[in-house]
Amino acid sequence: MELSWWAHLWSVLPEIVLVLAAALMMAVDAWLPEGRKRELGYWAIGGLAAALTVTAVQAAQLAGGIAVPYEAFGGSVRADLAAMLFRVIFLLAGILTVAISMDFRPLRQSGEYYILLLISVLGMGLMGAAVNLVMLYLALETVGIALYLLAGYLRDTPRSAEAGLKYFLFGVFSSTIMLYGLALIYGFTGEIAYARIAQALAGLPAPAVMAALLLILVGFGFKVSAVPFHFWTPDVYEGAPTPVTAFISVASKAAGFAVLIRAMIEAFPTAQANWVAIMAALAFVTMTVGNLLAIPQRNLKRLLAYSSIAQAGYILIGIAAASPLGVAASIFYLGIYTLMNIAAFAVAVIMTNVTGSEEIRDLAGLSRRSPGLALAMLAALLSLGGIPPLVGFFAKLLVFAAAIESGLLWLAIAGVLNAMVAFYYYIMVARAMYVDRSPEEEKPVWISRPARFTLWFTVAGVLLLTVLVYPLYLLAQMAAQAF
Amino acid sequence: MGELIAFYLLAGIAVATALAMVITRNAVHSALFLVLNLVVVAVFYLLLGAPFVAMVQIAVYAGAVMVLFLFVIMMLGAERVGGTTGLRWQVPLAGALGAALIGGTLFAFLRAPAGLAPVGSPPVPFGDPAAIGERLLTTYVLPFEITSVLLLIAMIGAVVLARDSGPEGK
Repeated sequence: MELSWWAHLWSVLPEIVLVLAAALMMAVDAWLPEGRKRELGYWAIGGLAAALTVTAVQAAQLAGGIAVPYEAFGGSVRADLAAMLFRVIFLLAGILTVAISMDFRPLRQSGEYYILLLISVLGMGLMGAAVNLVMLYLALETVGIALYLLAGYLRDTPRSAEAGLKYFLFGVFSSTIMLYGLALIYGFTGEIAYARIAQALAGLPAPAVMAALLLILVGFGFKVSAVPFHFWTPDVYEGAPTPVTAFISVASKAAGFAVLIRAMIEAFPTAQANWVAIMAALAFVTMTVGNLLAIPQRNLKRLLAYSSIAQAGYILIGIAAASPLGVAASIFYLGIYTLMNIAAFAVAVIMTNVTGSEEIRDLAGLSRRSPGLALAMLAALLSLGGIPPLVGFFAKLLVFAAAIESGLLWLAIAGVLNAMVAFYYYIMVARAMYVDRSPEEEKPVWISRPARFTLWFTVAGVLLLTVLVYPLYLLAQMAAQAF
Repeated sequence: MGELIAFYLLAGIAVATALAMVITRNAVHSALFLVLNLVVVAVFYLLLGAPFVAMVQIAVYAGAVMVLFLFVIMMLGAERVGGTTGLRWQVPLAGALGAALIGGTLFAFLRAPAGLAPVGSPPVPFGDPAAIGERLLTTYVLPFEITSVLLLIAMIGAVVLARDSGPEGK
């Protein structure tokens, strides 16, 4: 079927809006006088919000059956509900990140920062939509390069420079190894489109496919920071500017999962038995190592780094289940995780502005210093920990249920035990806020207006979704049918 | 037959130059070995019946990129890499893991050679300028445009990293 030019453009409309917004910001950055650079944040939010509006309309059309999924640009990208929902996650994460960046002290306000952020969101959108190897690799690299730069953005701070360099080195190594895998796949099949690769792989000997699959999984494992490809995570999360850390921990991870889910289901259905075993093992090691190493952490950002590794483990359970329920559970989990993790990082950003430190003990007395802030952090932590009434509990419930449904009972049990371990260190942070006292208690905490917006949005989102669990689950289920 | 001999000869040179590039301690020598390696790969493309791709490989990689490499190395005066690297036990470990990777891959390929038939040969001449140009602006127009975005942020990033932070950090 020949697509009209509009159908081609429609499939990447959010990306087009983002490119235009980035170009506009370059011009605005040049014209804006030095003292008003902070306003660039609002321009960035405007661009991301415009793209989000477009995406939401597209998602509604796809969900409502007004538009049908199709592949555009010679089979480079697919416009389906899953691609759109992942875009919503990336764009939301982008908006919330810009809002906490605007008054983050160490970050000099500059147009380049926001442009890099916008372009990385663009790349993530394409990662979620990519259905051939060329598009996949280019999208991955676009995101990667923008994020390496953002992680090392505070170039004059040794820790940030180190984070940027470390992220870059780990990133290029894993992406090179992945490229070997992609080259092998192309060599075996002579195809770059997922669907045709799946057909061609059916007749190939299993060990050869396995070799390529393992090499590709190195690249994906790096993106989602799964153990044993997680070594960069704590150092990069600690050294990068905190808003960037928040962004990497949610958006980049979600993008990694988007490509992982699509590539496994669409390109490797014949090797499913193999990758299910690999995913189950990865999920188990990732959540266990992440949780155990989180316990001794004293730095809030490092704690959240290990916590985010563990969360990746839970999400991998859904993929290991390799069923519609499992995929829906993973997408559901990613959506929720975005809100609660950004809420936790927003508190970290605000506290860094106030105390200039990122230690957990500096949260002492926060419940008296700023009850609202402490409550927001508590909600985020309890939801991350999966405490029953909050929506984080339902996310865990879904992935565990998916594991049991697919006969991975041991993985579900390991997940429950892990959730208990995780509960301990989340409570330790809460204890610092609520029980410990500090001489600084009388000093009020300054929260900038955009950061206040992020806090309200994320916490309200977590609470609202606690009520609206079922509609969100239905949406995730519809998206999972796209594969 | 002649093609096979040429292939093995060139493959030997390609592997040898790649190894020499990594092993040699002088950065200028490394860069020159890399030039040789890139030229040999260009000859591979010629053997495969893709003269245009071969010429691009020589002009862009062996030419422009490597000139830039050498220029930077000489400008920084970084041609000599320090004597000992402090990586002691990592070297044999890396060797063992590399051997395991090669062994594993060979095992995977040699175990069932029947299933791994070559995927048909490409049309000759392959990748002539007209065909590449047409593909880039039709089928692959999106990846092509994304590449330009990628290069744009790489440029922005280079400016961000190289910028003088000024007296009080702007």
